[in-house]
Amino acid sequence: MATFIVKRFFQFIPVLLGISILVFFLLHLIPGDPALTLLGQDATKEDLERLRNVLGLNEPLYIQLMVFLKNLFQGDLGISIFQDTPVITLISTHLPATLELAVVAMIIALLIAIPLGIISAVKQFSWLDYGSMFFAQIGVSMPVFWMGLLLIIGFSVNLNILPSFGRGEPLLDAFVQTIQTGNLFYLVDSLQHIILPAFTLGVMSAALITRMVRSAMLEVLKEDYIRTAEAKGVRGIVVIMKHAFRNALIPVVTIVGLQFGNLLGGAIVTETVFAWPGIGRLVITAISQRDFPVVQGCVLMIALIFALINLIVDILYAIINPKIQQG
Amino acid sequence: MNKKSWFSILFVMMFIFSAFLAGCSYEKPASNNTGSAGSDDGDAGAARDEIKVGLDVDAGTMDPRLSKDTSAKRVSELVYDGLIRLSANLEPEPGLAEKWESPDPTTWVFTLREDVTFHDGEPFTAEDVKYTFDSLIDPDFQAPYASLYEPIKSVEVVDDYQVKFTLKEPSAPLLSYLDIGIVPKHIGEKNDNTLSNNPIGTGPYKMVKWDKNSKISFEANDKYWGGSPKTNKLTYFIIPDNSTRVASLESGDIDIVHSPLSPQDIKRIKENDQFEVIETEGLGFTYLNFNQKHPILSDLKVRQAIAHLVNKEIISSDIYQGMDTPGKSPLIPASWAYDESISGFSYDPAKAAALFKEAGWEDSDGDSILDKDGEKLKITLSTHSEDPNRMQAVEYLQNEFTKNGVETEVKTSEWPTFSTGLTEGNFDIALVGWLNLVDPDRSFYNPFHTNGGSNYGKYSNATVDELIEKGRTTLEQAERKSFYQEAAKIVTEEVAYDVLLYQGYIAMYNKNLKGFTEHPAGSFYGLKDAEITN
Repeated sequence: MATFIVKRFFQFIPVLLGISILVFFLLHLIPGDPALTLLGQDATKEDLERLRNVLGLNEPLYIQLMVFLKNLFQGDLGISIFQDTPVITLISTHLPATLELAVVAMIIALLIAIPLGIISAVKQFSWLDYGSMFFAQIGVSMPVFWMGLLLIIGFSVNLNILPSFGRGEPLLDAFVQTIQTGNLFYLVDSLQHIILPAFTLGVMSAALITRMVRSAMLEVLKEDYIRTAEAKGVRGIVVIMKHAFRNALIPVVTIVGLQFGNLLGGAIVTETVFAWPGIGRLVITAISQRDFPVVQGCVLMIALIFALINLIVDILYAIINPKIQQG
Repeated sequence: MNKKSWFSILFVMMFIFSAFLAGCSYEKPASNNTGSAGSDDGDAGAARDEIKVGLDVDAGTMDPRLSKDTSAKRVSELVYDGLIRLSANLEPEPGLAEKWESPDPTTWVFTLREDVTFHDGEPFTAEDVKYTFDSLIDPDFQAPYASLYEPIKSVEVVDDYQVKFTLKEPSAPLLSYLDIGIVPKHIGEKNDNTLSNNPIGTGPYKMVKWDKNSKISFEANDKYWGGSPKTNKLTYFIIPDNSTRVASLESGDIDIVHSPLSPQDIKRIKENDQFEVIETEGLGFTYLNFNQKHPILSDLKVRQAIAHLVNKEIISSDIYQGMDTPGKSPLIPASWAYDESISGFSYDPAKAAALFKEAGWEDSDGDSILDKDGEKLKITLSTHSEDPNRMQAVEYLQNEFTKNGVETEVKTSEWPTFSTGLTEGNFDIALVGWLNLVDPDRSFYNPFHTNGGSNYGKYSNATVDELIEKGRTTLEQAERKSFYQEAAKIVTEEVAYDVLLYQGYIAMYNKNLKGFTEHPAGSFYGLKDAEITN
């Protein structure tokens, strides 16, 4: 297992390097000038030229790339052109918010999807099955921003029970504070803030995972060993959970892994609607300002997370199905 | 350990945790700094000592000399003071300068207040004023608005509380730009970017914490020379989505929001008697910029004909729901130089057809597109994609133009791409806007002067150049007014711009917010006298 992990880890390096170079060229090829965005429409040609020199934008592209890569290998992601703050600081303040949102969204998605998926497979063609599939269809089709706004209008404006925007204390900090002080306020406040954005973000994944669990379960339930188990007199719930569900998990884990990556990307819209201070909004703002160092740093970081998730999924495969590791 | 023991351990842990949670209390901490924007507003009975504001974007930098975005300005208005402050009708009023005089047209002497300290306790003196303006005009400092201060030749300290500005040439608009925040020399000269993140000013509020992309928290400056603010805490929440921002106002999570807002939301809030909606004339206009170097648009008759195809009333009422009003000339109604007699071009397709015909454009091949010498009358109408109303406006115009024989292609791209095309002169007709026009010089010099920095359409007229120069160097307001009104007549008649809309400025707030006075520039300085009542 250890060699497997180390080997996979080294495979990251060319991937990340490739992504860095690709993003670098894409950013520099699209029209738009950071100097103009920074200095605004009133700027004179001389001012723009001076700023481009300061930012190194007048150097040939290959020199700019060399400088970028040299700094990257030294662990330096550069300084934001607009916010005058090191990119690594910006990432470290925004990434945890997105990760927290994605993790809670995934938990919500799994809590919805696994029971629904299993029930709809076991009770195939029943109203429960149709109901679950109807939910899945709605979840997949509904645009995230629309669902977000509906939830805000329902729970914040009309019922007035949940905040309409923003992030409370980071969930982990709130948890620690609650334990230390014995006051539930911190935890409740933090949860109240995260519940709507996390639900909005998670519901689409929930829909996809529900369908995946259902079809994987349906396939497994037709296997001979299920019939054998049932014939042996094993209790229904044990057959479903131990014999069927565990074997149905492999495709589910794949989709969960992929979905987690999508949650990080999909968080951009959710973050904008709920004013969640995460990395998605940071990237979008940086792209619209042509803040090259921030975009490069964030994309690199997201790529790294994607690669890590893939690694975790591979390890999980090996745990669920030992045959994979042996092979 | 077998599976059963794992389950037992898990079960016991869950039991202990549930018991712990059951034993926890739930009370709101006295100083709740959790960033909660929740709807529980403290103890019932006592009014909340905090005003919550919803902003659309975060500030780029907190250094007033480097800032150019509106949010940074909103911070600056509270944390810093300028030498002057602009009144609601854009006249300079005393700020950090108690009074000023101009012994000759190129000299200004400002007498400063003596009772002012910075938020860190250091006294404010003439040295800080000199330092602020020296850095602003220093090319290496890269101040975005350096060009506004370009007429300043030097700033001298006469004594601790008197400072003398010497100008290269007389400059009338300069005074209006002296509302820029004065920064402390003792911090700024360290050159370590401290002020970009931790502003230290003399203003009514001190910044306490800046959670980037999330919120900016302020606390009242009890020693403020203009009297301590009525409300102790003030928080700007960054809520990028217009609809969410308004929903947050409706849910009571925030107390006040302002432009940019979606016209549909404004209509809904107006119908709700829990809220106050203030509509004032803003300091900006939206216009069609005609590229004078374009082979077809270089013909004045064609430009005039196209201007006659623009139905500003429909754009104002149907797309902007009356939030922005039909425009006439580059002089905005909020300005002292506004001229009601300039009416611009009315929507008149028949007149347009006649003008096209005079210019030699006719539909000779019956394809309902005008042509001349075998060439079709074809133009591209461009704007940026960040503003849905502008996108709708260009689509509406495309339809209107095409219906009247002008084959029109619409091109929308996001701001950096669009603005690069604009500055490079790479457009036919562009729909864009100007903001913050505190002095007519800003509406004229850069946009219309032959050497103007933002004369994207390459408009050039010697008479207009002369009028704009005179407007800049003449100090008498009545004379300046006549120069600008004359220039406005010419650029409107020659369709350098077709001013589509005068931008309105809208603030919407909960009726329990009392004492707030609005300002055409959207200044939040008025929040210092506002408070939340029950």
